[in-house]
Amino acid sequence: MLFVHETHRVIGRHASAFEDLVRDEWMGALARSDDTRLLWYLNHAMGSGPAYEVVTVTAVADGAAWEALGARMAAGDLSDLAARLDSYRHEVEGKLLLPVYWSALQRVGLDQVPTDGRRHGLSVYMQDTGWPDAPLDDYIELWDRDYWQIMRQTPPERRLLDVQACFQVAHGSGIRPEAILMQKIVNFETLGRLLTDGGVPDPTTWPGTYMAKGLEVRDQWESKLLRTSAWSPLW
Amino acid sequence: MLFVHEFHKVVGKRAAAFESAYRDGWMPLVAEGDEARLAWYFDLAHGSGLAYRVVTVTAVADGAAYVRLAERVARGDLRSWARRLDGLQHESLGRVLAMVPWSPTVPPLADIPVGGVTREPSLYMEDTMWPFPGRLRHYVEAAGAVYRPSLAAEDARMHMHVALGLETLPGAGRSPEVTLLQRLPSLPPLIALLTQDIPPEVTGPGSWMHAALDLRDRWRSRLLRTAPWSPLP
Repeated sequence: MLFVHETHRVIGRHASAFEDLVRDEWMGALARSDDTRLLWYLNHAMGSGPAYEVVTVTAVADGAAWEALGARMAAGDLSDLAARLDSYRHEVEGKLLLPVYWSALQRVGLDQVPTDGRRHGLSVYMQDTGWPDAPLDDYIELWDRDYWQIMRQTPPERRLLDVQACFQVAHGSGIRPEAILMQKIVNFETLGRLLTDGGVPDPTTWPGTYMAKGLEVRDQWESKLLRTSAWSPLW
Repeated sequence: MLFVHEFHKVVGKRAAAFESAYRDGWMPLVAEGDEARLAWYFDLAHGSGLAYRVVTVTAVADGAAYVRLAERVARGDLRSWARRLDGLQHESLGRVLAMVPWSPTVPPLADIPVGGVTREPSLYMEDTMWPFPGRLRHYVEAAGAVYRPSLAAEDARMHMHVALGLETLPGAGRSPEVTLLQRLPSLPPLIALLTQDIPPEVTGPGSWMHAALDLRDRWRSRLLRTAPWSPLP
């Protein structure tokens, strides 16, 4: 299964129209094919980064389904909708993601993903994107051994994040080396401490010595705080 | 057919090893299976931009073949090759591209050589354009109907041959974006372009450059030189 990750730079005055179009028309039109579903619609939380930036993640069953999606958008039943979406944004930057070997999310039951825009509460994700200066495989293994495994052993009341997925970029569809963590924030008090504490991370609230070990493979990463819309199929 | 276009920031001290990794590694390895071929290996011409930059273009049969290739890199027989490449480049930025409707094509995959080629380098101008929001389709149509034929006109200032016209597939790069890979058969027109002002008749009303400003006003040109062993000239 492939995950199409797109970062949309939306035209501010069209922000509502863009979201309405995705919710009311695009999501359902995508689902006319059994092998494609919108999973997440996330707004980059204002005050934490760029304004009017939206992240979407779409699950596609396989390479043939992805190519078919491209054909539908270029000259098929999605071409008019795709052009309308284009008119509401400055640009979109996309990459194809493959789950890494230890990712909890490997496949999605596409027929279980809602497409009706049903409303729910909001969630906030911390999306971490890292660019190692060591081989990519070493970074992915470090995340497994010294981050994910330790996070899982942390008592629930002390967890900041629930790591829901980890991806690497499919070769040739984005930056290499790059890997991505999709992490749902489960404790906003801990997030507040993370944001306001300028000291060395406390190993009792942060997973072990990960921060120190991480510097052996990378010192460049970016965290984005992404808030799901009230209708995002996954949240 | 789809094209995996990669722009590599090569470690300067490892430039020769990087080229070898593609010539002696990637080119034969991807050819196992008959559904992918390295098509071009380009160096960005020194003196025209960033140093130690390489562009590779790998042709794949279709979307399913592309994903099989990506999975070979992520967890299959190409994983160790990719791991070694991580030490030879700072990073690479890849896109997966499809031909626009009017694009010329490349030879069938089986006819693209997998080694044994030595020839004089060719010079290409790779233009990448970013149409205004909502104008992608209009730009693609106009580029095919007006721009491409103009390159072959007798009074054309730039005689170039469009080898490929490409646009980004969803989720595999930036959009709206169009890339034209254009082969330069001779140098004098390029030198003239670089050293002389563009005359008003080329930029004024009625010209492609003038009309196309309704569709885009940002693009980037790269001057790329094929390696002597590049499978396609």
